[in-house]
Amino acid sequence: MNAAIEAEAARLKELGESKPRLARDPVNEPMINNWTEALGDRNPVYPELAPPAMVQVWTMYGLNGVRDDDDPLGAMTKVLDDAGYTSVVATNCEQTYHRYLRPGEQLAVTTRLSDVVGPKRTALGEGWFVTTLSTWYVDDEPVAEMMFRVLKFKPPEPTGSVIRPLVNQDTEFFWAGTAARELRVQRCPDCQALRHPPGPFCPRCGSGTPDYVVSCGRGEIFSYVVHHHPPVPGKRLPIVIALVELEEGVRMLGELLDVSPDDVRIGQPVTVDWSRVDSDLTLPVWRAVP
Amino acid sequence: MRTLSGAAAIAGIGATEFSKQSGRTELRLAVEAVRSALADAGLEPSDVDGLVTFTMDSNSEIAVARELGVPRLSFFSRINFGGGAACATVQQAAMAVATGVADVVVCYRAFNERSGHRFGRVSAAVASAPTTNGIDASWSYPMGLGTPAADVAMFARRYQHVYGATSEDFGRVAVADRRHAAVNPNAWFHGKPITLADHQASRWVVEPLHLLDCCQESDGGVALVVTSVERARDLPHPPAVIAAAAQGSGSDQFVMTSYYRDDLLGLPEMRVVGDQLWAQSGLRPDDISVAVLYDHFTPFVLVQLEELGFCRPGEARDFIADGAIEIGGRLPVNTHGGQLGEAYIHGMNGIAEAVRQIRGTSYNQVDGPVLVTAGTGVPTSGLIVSR
Amino acid sequence: MTELPELAIDTTATFVVSTALATRDFQDVHHDRDAAVARGSKDIFLNILTTTGLVQRFVTDWAGPRALVRNVSIRLGVPCYAGDTLVFSGTAKPDGPDTVVDVVGKCSLGDHVTGTVRVSAP
Repeated sequence: MNAAIEAEAARLKELGESKPRLARDPVNEPMINNWTEALGDRNPVYPELAPPAMVQVWTMYGLNGVRDDDDPLGAMTKVLDDAGYTSVVATNCEQTYHRYLRPGEQLAVTTRLSDVVGPKRTALGEGWFVTTLSTWYVDDEPVAEMMFRVLKFKPPEPTGSVIRPLVNQDTEFFWAGTAARELRVQRCPDCQALRHPPGPFCPRCGSGTPDYVVSCGRGEIFSYVVHHHPPVPGKRLPIVIALVELEEGVRMLGELLDVSPDDVRIGQPVTVDWSRVDSDLTLPVWRAVP
Repeated sequence: MRTLSGAAAIAGIGATEFSKQSGRTELRLAVEAVRSALADAGLEPSDVDGLVTFTMDSNSEIAVARELGVPRLSFFSRINFGGGAACATVQQAAMAVATGVADVVVCYRAFNERSGHRFGRVSAAVASAPTTNGIDASWSYPMGLGTPAADVAMFARRYQHVYGATSEDFGRVAVADRRHAAVNPNAWFHGKPITLADHQASRWVVEPLHLLDCCQESDGGVALVVTSVERARDLPHPPAVIAAAAQGSGSDQFVMTSYYRDDLLGLPEMRVVGDQLWAQSGLRPDDISVAVLYDHFTPFVLVQLEELGFCRPGEARDFIADGAIEIGGRLPVNTHGGQLGEAYIHGMNGIAEAVRQIRGTSYNQVDGPVLVTAGTGVPTSGLIVSR
Repeated sequence: MTELPELAIDTTATFVVSTALATRDFQDVHHDRDAAVARGSKDIFLNILTTTGLVQRFVTDWAGPRALVRNVSIRLGVPCYAGDTLVFSGTAKPDGPDTVVDVVGKCSLGDHVTGTVRVSAP
């Protein structure tokens, strides 16, 4: 498997630059104005000059574009997809501008594969870093270059499906909240006591008409574990599960996502995020706040 | 003052072999254990008029009675909350005997917990049980926290953070258990002691717990015969008098996940048990010679020493240093090898060991009163037995 | 070392959509909330070309119109969802004839982008 990936990477590197692909339009003021308006950039040198960071915009494939056959990122994506590394996330982008462009100039771009490194263990799963180099030309003059790196990774391989909560009339407000991406904490309308997990009565004052507040979703890790064994349905191990004390004062369990277990600390600030299992279930999860 | 202390005794103990694959039904294990306990007590099935077991046990009282040929039962009862039931089965039996509801009550627990349904695995059925327990589990299982080891690890991490206890401190419990098991021929780990280095080198199960912080999974059964002290004195073995027996549950109590109350550093339910044990027996921690402390996971052995008053909160790691909980130490713990060393029979094998200590037949014999506890992290129970 | 004035951007849904289209990035996760949620995201989120453009804008807002941007090197972190606020901070230090600015763009989930921008006088 790795040999096949490395062989394809070597072949694509050997091919070198793809053939130049022309930008749909020459550099032009209306597109520059759209860009500066949307990004809120009031630099007065635009639109007489084009913003350098727009260089990639000119050669985007567009709404109905089809990737060129000799685009090495497309070919490399295919072989990694076939090997199970089906998810992608961009990790690095480095652009160098030799000069600013002016309206009227016609760009073309070429791309070549720089390297493919892996398999690496990452917070997202095992994957390969694929790096491409693109060069933009006006006629034969290189005007800008870009190094672009993506991580192609294997999405989590769950064993079985996530265990579903039992929901009843006392707890359905909480799960309706997660579906709406609100972290709801039971509150007694009479004595204002907050409570999690919820129940039909207020243990402090006895009120039987509980209400809820929406938590700000921020808190600190009160304790945590790193689960290695045995298998957990719907999870790819190891996973970190954190007991979080929310700013409102109640504690709640959730998986802490996208962290290296060795980096987790008690007291670490976290914020809530959402893990959508399917149309009927969304789980609250935590993310570390650096 | 009305008291349970001194009213009843354990007059018989029995067990099957402890294995990883019994090769027979749980009912057969239960009946074998009960027969063995009755024989030990010098009693017949026809003497039995009461049966007590765990809510979790799969063998109904009537099925066990049928197989034994018990003609009539005047008392049958079950205790909830997993291993927390162990000592409470004896408490129930003692109460029935003390009140005249029954004369001879047998407590039993039998399962194929290794070859059949393994408690160490994640059970989706727990989280979907149509009970308040199922609702409670819905705040942990879907989030990925779904094994007893993980539940305890969450507590242990906080305990380490606040009190400075280390994985080695937990490991000393495992070393003591395995040292004691090594000389017990009935123990699964007979002849196989471990070192602290072995503990540290064992793989992670759920950090901060290593494999050797976790009890075994076992097949087997244990039974205990409870009758009045008076009647027990006429039977073959010296009675293990029930000096105290208690149950306990704390505030905002959950099963294994009481994460939402106070400081997450103690076992308030075990303090409820301990307070009653000292009050009923009139004894103090200094009077106890041996403690059989429930050890499904090592960290809670430290916490129990604190909650029962053997040392102050946070100081168990100092208390257990230098072999204090090993044979020859200040308070030998789990002289049968515990559930890490002998077998995991949901705490019932520990009660049998307490009886052997009173009789003078333990493989790690110490003389004097014995304190026994049941499952930790759950509503629980405890006993003190003496001569 | 010079601290740059902070730049805070409310990344409203309108902002996410209009910048995606202005950079000619038509992937659905940048303009279709239902599609983004179906793919496991919390909401639509900022595209990379916009992030690159904002890093450049943050530096030129401070450096002025005469500064020439030579290089933008960024590392991408957590997604910046619609409804969040993206706050850029940075420090500049001379490097020969150029100035190199270390830039961090944070949103509520953490570092969305970290990197450096090299500018030179004309």
